[in-house]
Amino acid sequence: MSAIEFDNVGRLFERDGRSFPALDGVDLTVADKEFVALVGPSGCGKTTCLRMAAGFEAPSSGRVLVGGAPVPGPGPDRAVVFQQFALFPWKTVADNVAFGLRNKGMAAPERRDRIAAIIKLMGLDGYETAFPHQLSGGMQQRVAIARAYVLDPQVLLMDEPFGALDAQTRVVMQEELVRIARINPRTVLFITHAVEEAVYLADRVAVMTQRPGRIKEVLDVRAIRAAENWDRHARVEDVMDLESFVHLRTHIWRSLREEKVGGER
Amino acid sequence: MQTSRDWIGTATVASLLALWAVLTMVTGTIDTLRFPSPVQFWQSLKQIATTGYADGTLLSHSLHSLKLVIMGFTVAAAVGIPLGLLMGWSRRAEALINPVFLLVRPIPPLAWIPLAILWLGLGDAAKIMVIFFAAFVPSVINTFTGVRGIEPNVIEAARMLGTGRWRLAREVLVPAAAPMIFTGLRLSLQASWTTLVAAELVGALAGLGRVLNVAQQDIYPAMVMVGMAAVGAWGWATTRVLAVVEARAMPWLAVRA
Repeated sequence: MSAIEFDNVGRLFERDGRSFPALDGVDLTVADKEFVALVGPSGCGKTTCLRMAAGFEAPSSGRVLVGGAPVPGPGPDRAVVFQQFALFPWKTVADNVAFGLRNKGMAAPERRDRIAAIIKLMGLDGYETAFPHQLSGGMQQRVAIARAYVLDPQVLLMDEPFGALDAQTRVVMQEELVRIARINPRTVLFITHAVEEAVYLADRVAVMTQRPGRIKEVLDVRAIRAAENWDRHARVEDVMDLESFVHLRTHIWRSLREEKVGGER
Repeated sequence: MQTSRDWIGTATVASLLALWAVLTMVTGTIDTLRFPSPVQFWQSLKQIATTGYADGTLLSHSLHSLKLVIMGFTVAAAVGIPLGLLMGWSRRAEALINPVFLLVRPIPPLAWIPLAILWLGLGDAAKIMVIFFAAFVPSVINTFTGVRGIEPNVIEAARMLGTGRWRLAREVLVPAAAPMIFTGLRLSLQASWTTLVAAELVGALAGLGRVLNVAQQDIYPAMVMVGMAAVGAWGWATTRVLAVVEARAMPWLAVRA
């Protein structure tokens, strides 16, 4: 059974009394513990896909299933990491991370252990009592990822989580996410418009068309990553220099460029 | 920087006081029958503080006014903040309440005074009612605006984390709207003092407004000024207390600097 399933999903938007399609027949499955990146031209509806999996929006046609069941609404089994972090500025780092666990009614001692472990994993030690605005953007996003990871969710939904970060921080966070994903694999749907990020992080990359968005093609990165042994390189730039990486990246770029031209008529 | 600003402020006030003393007592440019000298002001202050004026001392009048302001303000905040939260959160509640609000809001709070006196007489209840009407509006409107202004992502994050309704209100909506709620409370407090003095001027048995009223009838400008200064001082003091509460209530803003 797949962890996330988009089954012929369409989505209409209303504007000025007229409805126009944002998504048209999206078919995509994410297997258990699989990391799938969704790339596409801006406005193609990739964020809408994620928001439907999260339960913030409902499909106009077709079905969005998580764990085999239709998504009922937002909930802690489908944790979201937002581009703009969306932390609670009035809560400390530890309280931000604890909030979801308190909602679950977890007892304080167990909660403390879980929080301590995730804070260590995310490299947030020493910042437990800081407020979000005292941290850099990269550190704030670590808190947001910790807040999602600590719930031990069925799926993790990441909506351009590194889009608001500067280039250097972004690279560090990509390496961190790979490190954490190896220690603690999760089912991840990852939205990005950065092709290299998608290829570096994902097991599979799904490319979307211009609006109304559909899945244009899905590339299996996992086989190439294993065959070329990308993981022997600790640094993003070393992986990105490999011929197999460049080849994949260029292929996806070309695929997206076709869409851009098509959309500009 | 701060100290040089303080110096300029102190110097300005000192100059004005000196000018006041010179114009009234040395050159006689200002007629002291219309505008009292600093010495007359001081004597009137001593009189009301010790022997009393208008059936009470400065302290008893002040405490009476302060009590009414605190009561009216507290009731207004206790009703206004929850109502603003409800209207901000629920479109249905807003649709229900807003028309009534729009109907009542254009009526200046002071216009309620005659009705309040007819209904409740010259006692405390009428004053509290008028203060309530004045202080209620800014509390509701600013709380409402504060809730409406919350970043949608933050509310989505709370829903994604499985937050129950009560905890959402207490731990997300209230703190997120807190800066606006306190803006509302500051305006409410100001409105409370304004309307209290107005209501006491129209008719009261005790209070700082009554001091002003009696002093006016006695043609006693020095005592009028003492009354004005007392209202100003209490307004300032209560605003300071609210500022301390505000800083304590929002520790995450204190470390921003």
